[in-house]
Amino acid sequence: MTRFLSTWRKYHLGRYLLLLLILYLLALPLVQIMAPDRKLVTNSLLFSFTQLFMLITLASNWNLTGGFTGYVDFGHAVFFGLGAYGTGIMMSKAGWSFVPALVGGAVVAIIFALFIGSATLRLKGPYFSIAMLGTFVAMREIVRVMKPLTGGGTGLTLPPYLNRPLFYYVTLAQVILVVIFISWLVKRTEFGKSLIAIREDEVGAEMRGINTTLHKITIFAIAAFSSGLVGGLWAYQNTFIDPDIVFLQSRTVDMVMMTMLGGLGIVAGPVVGGAVLYWLRDVIWANFLHFHLIVQGIVLIMIVLFLPEGILGTLADRTGGTTIGRLWGRYLTPPKETKVEEAEVSS
Amino acid sequence: MTTGASEPLLAGHNVSKYFGGLAALSNVDFAVYPGEVMGLIGPNGSGKTTLFDCLSRVQNIDRGQITFKGEDITRKKPFQVAHMGLSRTFQVIRVYRKLTVLENMLLSRQWGGLGIIKLFHSYPKKIEDRARDLIHFLLLDAVIEEQAGRLSGGQQRLLELGMALMPDPDLILLDEATSGVNPTLIETIKERIVELNQNYNKTFLLIEHNIQFIGDLCNRVFVLNYGEMLAEGTPDHIMNNEAVIEAYFGMGGDDDELGN
Amino acid sequence: MDQFTQAVVNGIMLGAFYAVMVLGFSIIWGVMGVINLAHGEFIMAGAFTTWYLNDQFGWDPLLTLGIVLIIFFGVGYILQRLLINRIIDRPFLISLLVTFGLAIIMSNGFKLAFSATPRSVDTVLSGFWRAGDITIPKTKTGILVIALVMMSMLHLFLQNTRLGKSIRAAAQNREAARIVGIVIPIVYALTFAICIAMTAGAGTLISPIQPIHPFMGASLTLKAFAITAMSGLGSIPGALVGGLVLGLIETFVATYVPGVGTNLGVISSYVILVVVLVVRPQGLFGGLKPAGVQ
Repeated sequence: MTRFLSTWRKYHLGRYLLLLLILYLLALPLVQIMAPDRKLVTNSLLFSFTQLFMLITLASNWNLTGGFTGYVDFGHAVFFGLGAYGTGIMMSKAGWSFVPALVGGAVVAIIFALFIGSATLRLKGPYFSIAMLGTFVAMREIVRVMKPLTGGGTGLTLPPYLNRPLFYYVTLAQVILVVIFISWLVKRTEFGKSLIAIREDEVGAEMRGINTTLHKITIFAIAAFSSGLVGGLWAYQNTFIDPDIVFLQSRTVDMVMMTMLGGLGIVAGPVVGGAVLYWLRDVIWANFLHFHLIVQGIVLIMIVLFLPEGILGTLADRTGGTTIGRLWGRYLTPPKETKVEEAEVSS
Repeated sequence: MTTGASEPLLAGHNVSKYFGGLAALSNVDFAVYPGEVMGLIGPNGSGKTTLFDCLSRVQNIDRGQITFKGEDITRKKPFQVAHMGLSRTFQVIRVYRKLTVLENMLLSRQWGGLGIIKLFHSYPKKIEDRARDLIHFLLLDAVIEEQAGRLSGGQQRLLELGMALMPDPDLILLDEATSGVNPTLIETIKERIVELNQNYNKTFLLIEHNIQFIGDLCNRVFVLNYGEMLAEGTPDHIMNNEAVIEAYFGMGGDDDELGN
Repeated sequence: MDQFTQAVVNGIMLGAFYAVMVLGFSIIWGVMGVINLAHGEFIMAGAFTTWYLNDQFGWDPLLTLGIVLIIFFGVGYILQRLLINRIIDRPFLISLLVTFGLAIIMSNGFKLAFSATPRSVDTVLSGFWRAGDITIPKTKTGILVIALVMMSMLHLFLQNTRLGKSIRAAAQNREAARIVGIVIPIVYALTFAICIAMTAGAGTLISPIQPIHPFMGASLTLKAFAITAMSGLGSIPGALVGGLVLGLIETFVATYVPGVGTNLGVISSYVILVVVLVVRPQGLFGGLKPAGVQ
């Protein structure tokens, strides 16, 4: 293992791995475009990847507030939902075309984020989490109640854009690249480092000149806008929305689990965590069809108890200093020793 | 050590703070002049750290006024006060434990301006140079890549001092900078403070229980007891003041620090 | 005027139930610093157990309370030793996620066992009393009485028994309690067991008056949180007041706001929660401290 690690370090293999991953993702649509008759890349495969990209994007957005800034948002899916309903309403009731409606939905999400964030971002730790969870639950009911606008429990139908899995795939692929890029950009700039300072010690950070309120609201709004966009896209793809499938409890669980599995506060965390979890879920579905949610609950507990730093986080802790460590570490620089610090956690 | 300027750098008028029915601070009046090294002592629970919290705006006062560089900062936010040139350290050490010493330093220097603009900047070289210089100044070169949480207590205090110095402040509030520090490092800290004060014209306000430290460093001291200002004057004057001695002995004394 | 009085009566009855429902949640948080996001699921479990006993053996729901309490005392004890113990001194995110995972497991587990079809039970105490134009349902009165009895007994227990005092001591200052010889792990296990038992008991109480289904827990957890925010941690009088307040607000909203179902109850509790937390972060009666040590 040590030999592997030192070779890895010596030749900076991490960056090649990253490159490989990106090429693979981009290659798929190229294959489809160039040889549309070949069944190598089927529609359902494209659909699968589109779903995966969507989940990763949402997880990455969640990571911005949850992982980088330490504000664990249990209700982030509310922005997804607002984007979905915003887009849905604008398309079906106001007759807008897709792109303006999509942006409109995201704008609804960001406006609500500014509104609710100014209240909830003052709260500490678990209070913030639960307040946002409550926001999510409450919004579901509010949407259900506002029947004339949202179609209430019976839902809303959007104008369809059928037979275009390639379109969604390419769009989501672009979205995911942009989102990951933003995530990376945030982390390497002073803004992102301030967020990490806020996560580590908010009072100390404020004392050292960081305008914590502005930082928190900004990142919260960015994440909300992005998730709102994804929500709108999803609504369009799904063609039908109602309060229960939009404000689905599992969406929040997904975001959190994927990010934790990959590594909180790590740019590539949601990507790795998302891919692993997506695959894992297929396995669970295949083998435990009836129990699959229960098994997922158990998996969540296992991850949280035994791998709290996530895959990449644990990896980074042990390979500090390499590309993986630097790029994929939760802290700006991961710890150098290989021992896992248990004592740090509760002091 | 005083420059003789007549305008106080930091002043509190009638500062009062209540927690429910308890007066943590009661009509405290004080002034710190540029270039001074001022001491703040008092028995445990007398309100010293609370005063620091209020001065650095981590807490609000209920009555009174605080001015810094002539400006009223009573209602300003902590980061605003930090930008004006006031830094502090904490009684219970607050460093970013999981980050390295260098990163701790880098994160303590914030540009002014909009948070949004900062989205597109990364730390310029000169900030990193400054951080390294300060680390060198504080003799922390050996641990520059270590996680801050792993440092010894004394080293962490030095780091905190360094973090407070990064934004090039005019006034530094040091809260128990010698608490839990071994004697050699105490000497180092003392020397650094002297150098900063004399060669760089930094003003200091120190909370201390280590009376010797106060005696060696401070040109003026004021004493808090039960949230009230008890006495003020030179170290000699304070240490011979009956009321002060009473306050300390009355509280059961303070370890071994009262001996001279 | 009568509508008003009726609403007050209903509100009080609902409130009493809420008060006894929230106690377990509040005490676990206060003593162990654990926010139990599976709280509603334990209520659901108690309700299902009651239904099962009623369905299989024909016992009256309210009479199954004793058995439910005993069963879930055991469940709680085991759960604490196995799982909860691991999350006590860790960052709050961990305990939130673990209990959240537990909630998922429980709700889906019960769905698997009993299907998602709502169940109901009937109790002997049906019918109403009438006072003028006010109807007072007998079932709810019975629930009110039992709830008050449970709360009083818990209060007496905490005040007067050695274990009760140990629990209170541990809640106030863990380290000091340990030093004077209070065995913390056992105290925690017993506290958790008692709280889970009470929570499941609340499920028994709720069984005659609302449909029982595996996913009924989530809104109840939210309400527990709202009440705790109002009333502070581990305070029985606080829980009583907070529960009453929530019960009254919900009832009044349902009575006077037209055209809405019980879902507004969820919304109102959420609104209350956020308002309280923002306006007075330490809770209405003080005593809310951040869970966990960071």
